[in-house]
Amino acid sequence: MSTAEQLDPTPLSEEQPRAAAVRDIEVDHAALDASIADFAGPNAGYYARAFQSIHDTTGSIPRVFNLAAALFGPFWAAARGIWGMFWGFLILEIIAYVQIGRGAWGDLGADALAQAERQAARAQDFLDRAAAAAAAGEDGSRFETLGNNLMRAAERSRETAEAAAADANMILLTGLALLIFLRVVQGLWGNVVYEKQYTRWRVAPDEVASGRTTRNLLMGLGLGLVIVPLTVYRFTIEGVPDWMTAFPANPDTYSDTARWLEGVIDDAARGGAGAFDGIVLGVRQVLDGISLALIGTPWPVVMAVIFVVAWRSAGPRVAIFTAAALAYIAFLGYWEIAMETVALVGAAVVLCVVIGIPLGIWFGKSQRAYKFAEPVLDLMQTLPAFVYLIPIIAFFGTGNPPGILATIIFGMPPVIRLTALGMRGVPANIKEAATAFGATRWQLLKDVELPLALPSIMTGVNQTILMCLSMVVIISLIGGGGLGQVILEALQFAAKGPGLLGGLAILFVAMVIDRIVQGAFRRADQR
Amino acid sequence: MVEHVVELSGVWKVFGDRAQETIVAAKERGLTKAEALAEFKTVIGVRDASFSVARGEIFCIMGLSGSGKSTLVRHVNRLIEPTAGTIRVLGEDVSAMGPKDLREMRARHIGMVFQHMALMPHRSVRENVAYPLEIRKVPKSRRWAISDHTLGLVDLTGYEDRLPRELSGGMQQRVGIARALASDPEILLMDEPFSALDPLIRLQLQDQFKVLVRDLNKSTLFITHDLDEAIRIGHRIAIMKDGVIVQIGTPEEIVTQPADDYVREFVQGISRLKLVRAHTIMEPLTNGHAHPSADAVRVSGESDLDSLIDVSVNSEHPLVVQEGGQDVGVITKTRLLRGIQGGAS
Repeated sequence: MSTAEQLDPTPLSEEQPRAAAVRDIEVDHAALDASIADFAGPNAGYYARAFQSIHDTTGSIPRVFNLAAALFGPFWAAARGIWGMFWGFLILEIIAYVQIGRGAWGDLGADALAQAERQAARAQDFLDRAAAAAAAGEDGSRFETLGNNLMRAAERSRETAEAAAADANMILLTGLALLIFLRVVQGLWGNVVYEKQYTRWRVAPDEVASGRTTRNLLMGLGLGLVIVPLTVYRFTIEGVPDWMTAFPANPDTYSDTARWLEGVIDDAARGGAGAFDGIVLGVRQVLDGISLALIGTPWPVVMAVIFVVAWRSAGPRVAIFTAAALAYIAFLGYWEIAMETVALVGAAVVLCVVIGIPLGIWFGKSQRAYKFAEPVLDLMQTLPAFVYLIPIIAFFGTGNPPGILATIIFGMPPVIRLTALGMRGVPANIKEAATAFGATRWQLLKDVELPLALPSIMTGVNQTILMCLSMVVIISLIGGGGLGQVILEALQFAAKGPGLLGGLAILFVAMVIDRIVQGAFRRADQR
Repeated sequence: MVEHVVELSGVWKVFGDRAQETIVAAKERGLTKAEALAEFKTVIGVRDASFSVARGEIFCIMGLSGSGKSTLVRHVNRLIEPTAGTIRVLGEDVSAMGPKDLREMRARHIGMVFQHMALMPHRSVRENVAYPLEIRKVPKSRRWAISDHTLGLVDLTGYEDRLPRELSGGMQQRVGIARALASDPEILLMDEPFSALDPLIRLQLQDQFKVLVRDLNKSTLFITHDLDEAIRIGHRIAIMKDGVIVQIGTPEEIVTQPADDYVREFVQGISRLKLVRAHTIMEPLTNGHAHPSADAVRVSGESDLDSLIDVSVNSEHPLVVQEGGQDVGVITKTRLLRGIQGGAS
């Protein structure tokens, strides 16, 4: 470094922007116009001017009319790739077209006219009979009165028909007015929407459509040509062909597929009978254990335990509520059957947790496994319970254990998901620290991952309990016992009293379990 | 003979499927980081790094974020596997270790401190510090005793039963240091331990740490992005840029002889007063020189600029530098001023 260089004060560089007052800043129209031209393609000059006036406006609605948008309507929007506008105005314009069609060629009085014709024919019939009766020397006045009445009715119908036909012109005009209004709106609004698209295009030029492409225009025209004539035809012409309103499906396709599927399920059920029976046996063991504890133990003991648990976990208010609920259940004679419901929920929850948490740990650690499991979990939660009750009957039969399996399908996803979520949420640096101090994989899981994922896992267990509770009533449909059965019987005989009493019992069971669990988890969270 | 506790030679870390090809290409035609990304879709994290840390030394690795310093230090305890090169810790080849030996080495010989503390939020301070011992299945009574003792070393006695979140950032990082010291390792890996703390606390902890490491005779690999910090606590400094170690040297060497423009830019703002010593800026006495006057003040070659200024303001003559009782050079006032400025050489 030379001394001279060091002594030199740092010169102001030429590139440094000169300080300018805000009012001196000028709009760089050339650059903007070039960018707009890049975006708009054809008619770049027009759009540059239009956007400029939109950019310059201070009011809310800029006054720029797009003639092309007004003339071609949705097809202008399609050609320019503004699909939202295309669909919105296509649907609105179809309403206008249908009105125009009804007014122009829809036979509006046709119904009333046909009725008038029928009434006139019957009147003539009665009048003929009256004449015949008179000719035979009998009293035909009854027929004559009827005939005259009908004649008058026919006259009224004819008047209605004429009035409707007269309305046709009005409807035609309304349709035309609507169409013109829509086109004016598109003319006024087109540039505003297009300018918004331009703003988005500047951010993501690859994703937002730009220019005017033949492909887009053809797509818009194709969609319009399919949708508009068919819809207008359907709504303006009487007696459209059947294929237009109902899909021409072949009934054999359905019955053949159903029969084939039934065969497949039967074969599978027969083939895997051993495995399915084993699963049912296992579930029954769990259920029997819990049932024995709840029903086999003398009721004062069970009630006292529930009361104390409620007090310890959720405080005195929940304990009092629990006591009241237990009294209701006991005095109405629901004790045993309510305990069966609790046993069903308990067995389902135990199995959900025992299976779900290890699965959740696995999915939390392996991104690939989770990717495969996620659609299955979605399916388990979105499939309505009624749908999978049938295959469950086919594979596992009826009764409580299959009911528990159905409950597990519905209740397990939350605990899996939230365990996986909790595992993924464990900070990487804490895991790294444990590894750096020589922890094994098991120590890492036991000392770091599970404790840190615990709040999330607890939330999952809580949700699983609530979902199992809601499902345990539905399983009475496949022979599940408990309070659900009471409701189902009441439903079958439309028995209002028993139904309401049983319903309240279920409500109390659910609320007691929910309050106790929530209270316990809240205390765990606070710690 | 200095004993080296950590030795890295020719260590490469390349992320991506075609790592080996990238290394070959980089060696043969000097492929840059950007070219590697374009050509092989690989990211060069560490590029041919070699250094060694002597026992008792604090070795700083300084670089900006993304320079590969954190990646490099994680090779020492094999949190990251090297793509090429050898790493020896206490004379043993780390890459050749089986999982059990590796865990043993991590648990006994290497303590690590992290930028964001990485304490376990559900365990008390004591149990956090005791965790490395718990991993080694040390009985609880010993664990607690050792952990209480170590917390005493970092002045945290009385906080043993608190949870980490009840402590301030500086205290949490002291817990982190105590945890790293708990298993009495020979080597400490410090990954930007003080970066997240405010400046005053950082200065305190730096001083405390320096004393602690000297007293306990630990060897330290200290990562930082702050050159001031590196100079303050490091015996030697390695400067990294884009995965390459640009220069290794003592703080004075780095400041007075920067290897390239990159390092020069860094050291520009560094105060040289406590770093640069008399023998660096003096004009050596050759035979051509007149013998310095006997009145002139004699100073030691090891005196830093700060003390030279103190002497110089009270003396009219140029200062005379003595080494081993011999006059070896002179420092005029001009030279001293230029030395402070950094243009002496």
